[in-house]
Amino acid sequence: METAAAFRLRAAPKLVTGVGVVHLVEMTVAGLLMVFVILPAIFSFSLLSPQFWQIYTRFYVTGLFGTFFYVALALPLSAVIGFLMGWARVSRIRIFAWPSSLYVNVFRGVPPLILVIFASLFGTSLIPQPILDRFLAGFRRGDIAVGIAAIAIGMHSSAYQAEIFRAGFQSVPKGQVEAAQALGLRPWQGMRHVILPQTFRLSLPPLSNEFAALIKDTSILAAISGVDLVAKSRDLLGILPASGLPIVWIFAVWTVVALTYFVITYAVTRGLRLLERKFHTPGLEGISL
Amino acid sequence: MIRVNDIQKHFGALHVLRGITFEVQKGEAIVIIGPSGSGKSTLLRCINLLVEPDSGQVFIDGVQVNRHGIRHEWVRQQVGMVFQSFNLFTHLTAIDNVTLGLTRVKGMPHDKAVQKARELLARVGLAVKENAYPAELSGGQQQRVAIARALAMDPKAMLFDEPTSALDPEYIREVLDVMTALAREGMTMIVVTHEMGFASNAASRILFMDAGKIVEEGTAEQIFQNPKEDRTRSFVSKILR
Amino acid sequence: MADWRRYLREHWRYFDAALALVVIVGSVAYIYDLLVGSRGLDVAYIVRNYTLYLHAVLTNVYATTIAFLVGMVIGFSVGWLRTARTVALSKFVASMRVEKRERQESPSQSEGARRLLVVLSLLWYGTKYVARRIGDGLVEVIRGTPLYVQILFASSFFIVFLPQYATEGLLIGIIALAINTGGYQAEIFRAGLQTVHSGQIEAARAIGFSRLRAMRHVILPQALRLIIPPLTNEYIGLFKASTFLFVLGVPAEISYIAQHQGFAGDVFEIFAMVTAIFLAITVTLSFVVQALERRFRIPGLGFEQVKRPRGVRIAPAGG
Repeated sequence: METAAAFRLRAAPKLVTGVGVVHLVEMTVAGLLMVFVILPAIFSFSLLSPQFWQIYTRFYVTGLFGTFFYVALALPLSAVIGFLMGWARVSRIRIFAWPSSLYVNVFRGVPPLILVIFASLFGTSLIPQPILDRFLAGFRRGDIAVGIAAIAIGMHSSAYQAEIFRAGFQSVPKGQVEAAQALGLRPWQGMRHVILPQTFRLSLPPLSNEFAALIKDTSILAAISGVDLVAKSRDLLGILPASGLPIVWIFAVWTVVALTYFVITYAVTRGLRLLERKFHTPGLEGISL
Repeated sequence: MIRVNDIQKHFGALHVLRGITFEVQKGEAIVIIGPSGSGKSTLLRCINLLVEPDSGQVFIDGVQVNRHGIRHEWVRQQVGMVFQSFNLFTHLTAIDNVTLGLTRVKGMPHDKAVQKARELLARVGLAVKENAYPAELSGGQQQRVAIARALAMDPKAMLFDEPTSALDPEYIREVLDVMTALAREGMTMIVVTHEMGFASNAASRILFMDAGKIVEEGTAEQIFQNPKEDRTRSFVSKILR
Repeated sequence: MADWRRYLREHWRYFDAALALVVIVGSVAYIYDLLVGSRGLDVAYIVRNYTLYLHAVLTNVYATTIAFLVGMVIGFSVGWLRTARTVALSKFVASMRVEKRERQESPSQSEGARRLLVVLSLLWYGTKYVARRIGDGLVEVIRGTPLYVQILFASSFFIVFLPQYATEGLLIGIIALAINTGGYQAEIFRAGLQTVHSGQIEAARAIGFSRLRAMRHVILPQALRLIIPPLTNEYIGLFKASTFLFVLGVPAEISYIAQHQGFAGDVFEIFAMVTAIFLAITVTLSFVVQALERRFRIPGLGFEQVKRPRGVRIAPAGG
């Protein structure tokens, strides 16, 4: 006869699956093949050339830091706003439900590029003057505009995240709310111990996709005067003729950039998927949007 | 112990409860039967104030509870409820489901709560499954955990809202056994059910409800063998095939 | 004294709605004031130029539609490719072992024919597997890199290999958008085909359909119903993405006009116009999507397994 502890051990989820490992290996092999053999053959460049890296490294590192900075600025903000908006959307209180609906529909309906352009032109005038003077005095106007544009990208993502959280809230069977009440739990206790834990677990899979999308969207900042990876790599195009390398080497740059983004998004989604599997509770399969 | 006086409830234009009055003594187990839509579930929810009656009074142990100033949470600790769809917290194991109320509402320290939860799970016959998640349990097992969860709060009375209606037939027996044992031990209970066998065995009184009113009241023999009202007779004849 | 409190509680719904409207109108008014303020709305500008903007949106619509259709072709073929059923490696090895055992037990069979069969099946499944994984890989790459990078890639391609067309911003944009949407649509088609795939072909053939007819009468109708909502959402997404034609310098594109006409200080008016047009289109399309979804929905069939509209509010229990 099985004991309680043995039951839990038997039903625990495996973190590293055989299939997962095979996929990883396949991907690495294919990636290496692609990057070092196939693409160079088609476009006649080589990623192993020291001359290339001599000019590019500087741009690459600056750009990468730029991207990380914009992501660090936009992502946490988007998650917080998205969560609050999602919560407000399911509320019975119309003061919360209607404005958040409006927010979500506006920021989902407007293309991120337009938000970015608008933010870069208007952003600084939206900040009250005292704050500008006190906290942001050391920054150039242009940089502040780009920062606001990054926040705009975060707001665009937060609209999608709000929908994800809303679906997460609505996927918690409402009978459990009744049961929590019947036990004598106060409304905020019910929220904290019953609803929110399940909402987060349910929202995590589509949320990881949305985070990846946010990271990719920071490339839009290159269209205005941002200093992210794409912008810096595009700058390289300008000095490429002068460096002596044929123009075809621009594909080497794009390959590196694409690879970087791919690795980042893959790491984010798979990493979060691993986290999700660790906290997996049977019966709480994620919502698929 | 529980007294209900002329309860009225509307949902929009729908007049669901049209003046319900009855009383349940301490230690009694009464069963409410009736067609769906008659207001049985609403009545139960009026007692633990999940639903507020429009008018009328609800008394628990002599205290009127449906008035301004009474904390709903206190009321719900006096009266436990078991639902048709179990409503176990899916993200918590069986034992965590039971300890949640103990630690968060009653403020019990965690180890004492676990000990008490273990006793209760053993009482409903599920000691082995304490670390199982609801999704890993059968319907009957889930409902028994739900009963243990409600019992953990040491309620003065228990409300059962069609506890076996959502169960596959092979699991109904185990839940009814737990409920019968509970009634034998002297728990005051109000059970809404279609299980006539349970009603005959465990109930001291049966109430027949239809269209928001109590049509007839009596013992099992009276209601099933000699119903006085026509409506009671037609309903009983449909139920007792 | 308690009367106004009770009045408030009973008529809460109306106060609630009124307050919500106040918040909405208030915040819009605040932003308006912040951006336009004392300058006053330049209505003349709007009236003068709105045709220009409408025309620009048409460019976006045109580019989106073409890219979408091309993407559909790409997406369907790659999606189809990705549903190629292959045998798992472990099963293959197991069947090889069975094969080996049989061979030892009855050695009368022709050795050469057996070997040939093994090699052929290896090649066949191997090729299917590789093809499927290549499809997977391509889609992952397209979905894992930003659209902007893909556009720059395409544009560089033209600069280097087809310099005579390098200035055709619209062409480059449509190609990049088509490939991008093709990748996303491949995922949609794959999921749609796969959801219906398993078991249904067997069931259809058990009734007596040939493979092709099973495809036509059983799989495709169901797959279409599954696929249409995400596809229409993809169209909306592509429409929004078409603003990237701006970075390719397509003069008729709406963001281009917004950026380059803005320096008379009418930025708010321009932004308002652009936003209004885009919102109008996306909201309308969203309604169309929802209507289509409702019409084509089959209960129980869908990507979203947990799509039950249970609110977090306590609704009265029946009975």
